[in-house]
Amino acid sequence: MSNLKYRLGLIAALLLASVWALFPRTVVERVNRAGGIALDTVRRVPLKRGLDLQGGMHLSLEVDESKQAVADKSDALDRALKVVRSRIDQFGVAEPVVQKVGTDRIIVELPGIDDPERARAVVEAQAFLQFQITDESQALEKALPRFDQIARSRGGVAAATTEAAPTDAAAPKVPDLFTKTDTAAKSDTTKADSGSVAGQLGGAGGVSKLIAPGSIPGEYLVANKDVPELERILQLPEIQAAMPPGRELLWGDTVSSGAAPFRTLYMVESRPIITGEYLEDAKPNQDPIQGTIVEFRFNNEGGRRFRSETGKNVQNYMAIVLDDKVMGQPPVIIQAIGARGQITMTGRPLQAAQDLALTLRAGSLPVPLKVAEVRQIGASLGQDSITKGALAMVIAVALVIAIMIGYYRFSGTLAVGALILFVIFTLAVLSSFNAVLTLPGLAGLVLSVGIAVDANVLIFERIREELDRGKTVRTAIDEGFKHAWSAIVDTSVATILTAAVLYQYGSGPVRGFAVTLIAGIAASLFCAVFVVKTFYLVWLSRTSNAQTLSI
Amino acid sequence: MIRIFHNTSFDFIKWWRQAAIATVVFIVLGLASFLVTGGVNYSIEFTGGTLMQVRFDAAADAGALRSALEDAGVRGAEIQQYGGANEYTIRAQNSAQVAAQDTSATAVANTIRSALDAKFGAGKYVVERTEAVGPKVGQELSRGAALAMLLASLVTLAYLAMRFEWRFGVAAVLSTAHDVLVTLAFIKLTNVEVSLVIVGAILTLLGYSGNDTIIIFDRVRENLKKGRKEPLYDTLNRSINETLPRSILTHTTTLAATIALLLFAGDVLRPFALVMTFGVFVATFSSIYVASPLLLWIERTFPREPTGKGAVSRTAAMAESAAESGTRDTKPARRVPAGAR
Repeated sequence: MSNLKYRLGLIAALLLASVWALFPRTVVERVNRAGGIALDTVRRVPLKRGLDLQGGMHLSLEVDESKQAVADKSDALDRALKVVRSRIDQFGVAEPVVQKVGTDRIIVELPGIDDPERARAVVEAQAFLQFQITDESQALEKALPRFDQIARSRGGVAAATTEAAPTDAAAPKVPDLFTKTDTAAKSDTTKADSGSVAGQLGGAGGVSKLIAPGSIPGEYLVANKDVPELERILQLPEIQAAMPPGRELLWGDTVSSGAAPFRTLYMVESRPIITGEYLEDAKPNQDPIQGTIVEFRFNNEGGRRFRSETGKNVQNYMAIVLDDKVMGQPPVIIQAIGARGQITMTGRPLQAAQDLALTLRAGSLPVPLKVAEVRQIGASLGQDSITKGALAMVIAVALVIAIMIGYYRFSGTLAVGALILFVIFTLAVLSSFNAVLTLPGLAGLVLSVGIAVDANVLIFERIREELDRGKTVRTAIDEGFKHAWSAIVDTSVATILTAAVLYQYGSGPVRGFAVTLIAGIAASLFCAVFVVKTFYLVWLSRTSNAQTLSI
Repeated sequence: MIRIFHNTSFDFIKWWRQAAIATVVFIVLGLASFLVTGGVNYSIEFTGGTLMQVRFDAAADAGALRSALEDAGVRGAEIQQYGGANEYTIRAQNSAQVAAQDTSATAVANTIRSALDAKFGAGKYVVERTEAVGPKVGQELSRGAALAMLLASLVTLAYLAMRFEWRFGVAAVLSTAHDVLVTLAFIKLTNVEVSLVIVGAILTLLGYSGNDTIIIFDRVRENLKKGRKEPLYDTLNRSINETLPRSILTHTTTLAATIALLLFAGDVLRPFALVMTFGVFVATFSSIYVASPLLLWIERTFPREPTGKGAVSRTAAMAESAAESGTRDTKPARRVPAGAR
């Protein structure tokens, strides 16, 4: 009988532990904050819901090597990780996840983000500061005929009808560029108008119609409504290939002087004279003449380098490029500049300068990052998934209970008792491993309810067989458990192995599924075998000389 | 007590030819459809691309949505109504769009957003879900999924080889291979979109079907140990019949779960539930009609050495004749215990 007491004691202890694990409470936890470990009081939720259930955003970032190769990517990512983390901390999201996965990726999870645009902007804002000299060799003008040709050939069917005309029409456009002055921007919009129409017909007008020269070398102006069209053309691989060597095109600010707003486009030298790597400090300021500005300071090494590079480029124009966008109008370099400088943010509120200074200070990324993957789920959709998943769960459990009790009667009731324990234990195991409940995980849970009774079915069928052979109830139960054991172990181990592989090679939600499966099998083994056996023992000890078993 | 299929003695194996023809026809149909319409329908996760689920405040027209996207340069996107009249999914999955996401996975999603802002007005719609995957991630995931499938099969083979003798292991793994083919044919024929979750479903299906085979083989092993003097053909039938109530009951409870998922768990999990529901039938079928006949065939091709287990080696020899003439008229003769002859 003491054996029975131990068994009951163990079950009761596990049940208590499970309920404790599942009970929401406030705990003091070690949390990783901004690189250091700190003790913090947090509200512990029993089962954290995955982003697909509570809504939020999942981003995976990797090093962008399109501009220059990065030698030690893993190390660069480690440094970038700190920057991203401190930014996210300042962003003020509850329980964000920022971690490095493998050697080449950073995962950012922002639960409950209902404004994905803002979150994306903060993470995507690489605050990658570069200083690039604008082109003085009229490289774009030289390349334009070629660009036009490419745009035309990519125009497709519509372009074919106008094929004869553009060769004559496009040619005079190039000289147009040189005769035009800055004030021509307004009249240019009418031209750009026809250009964009032609563009919709299949890019027949080409690139030169969309572009007018600006006021400094390497500066060009594009009417706002032509920007998407031009962006699309510039993304063509052929255009990328035809880009003048050592040069690149970067967008600048939108300028809304006059009736039609336009956007600046700059041809700059690809090689930056210095990057934000050497940035030491940045702060916002208001300048009576230039408006909103961000003042910055380089460290000693950066200052030296900046001085020598600007010394070499006196009389040239220097574009201050933040995340591939030229900030303000490039100033002319009058003399070598030291460690200090400023970014002009014409027409932007001081708030924007504060944000920029903060991102620059807390994290100019050592390497450019690009978003490799985004998943965003609205909170209402997540809630909907939970509701539906829960409904499916309830129905599945009800059906299984009905089948088990209907078929096995008294023994079925024992199995159902064990099934309820199974659900509690599974949730508790998941909770104590800090597993995240995802939508596929929920499916795995529902599925495991259906499969969990398999062990009991195996055992009950064995007991029936033993009873058929005329064994006493007590012996039949013993033998039934004994004989079913090998099959139960084999199936459980085989499933756990599969789930382990899935965990190792799956990602995100699928891992949640694998974890649920493993927890489910472990709990099912314990419940079907140990718990049901104990129930039988209790029943046997109470009904002395049990002659029949309802099974 | 209620008993279903109790003490049955169906001759399951007899029908193995018909079963083989049925399953081969199904697989060939599926594979032929691969040849005709190309590969399976892979999700964004594998191909790369952008999926957006958008809910408009007012009922929106799919045509207007399409023209807004086309104007913004997002061409050939698949637009589907999802749920109500004002909810749509947009799939931009073709190679141009995937390539555009190489620099930033958000590129196409941002273009779509600004196109919708321009056409319908910002704030007039809610983006319920965005999935944007760059080409590299997609490739990695496909490789990972293929590796997972392969590894899972190998690990199962190793375990079965360890727990059972190799003949059982080989039969079980070959039947797993059959399950993979049948499931692929099913996925292809029903045009289910293959996502990571579906890969998970396939692996679970394989595990579940493997379980069923293990249960029957466990019984075969036990019956062989009892040294009954009967052909393996009969031992297999006996084992299948003995485990029949368990099979029926377990499959019923599992079906209860998968059907509950299918009907009530919503659109996102429906493909998963569909594959798992199919899996229950595959498991039942393949453990009886694929794994068991395969075991018979292996025993016939590689008979056991007559070491100690004389009865076992004789069953192998007799199984040979049984498998070759698996018809009912020879049956009564074989029913007679060997000792009585």
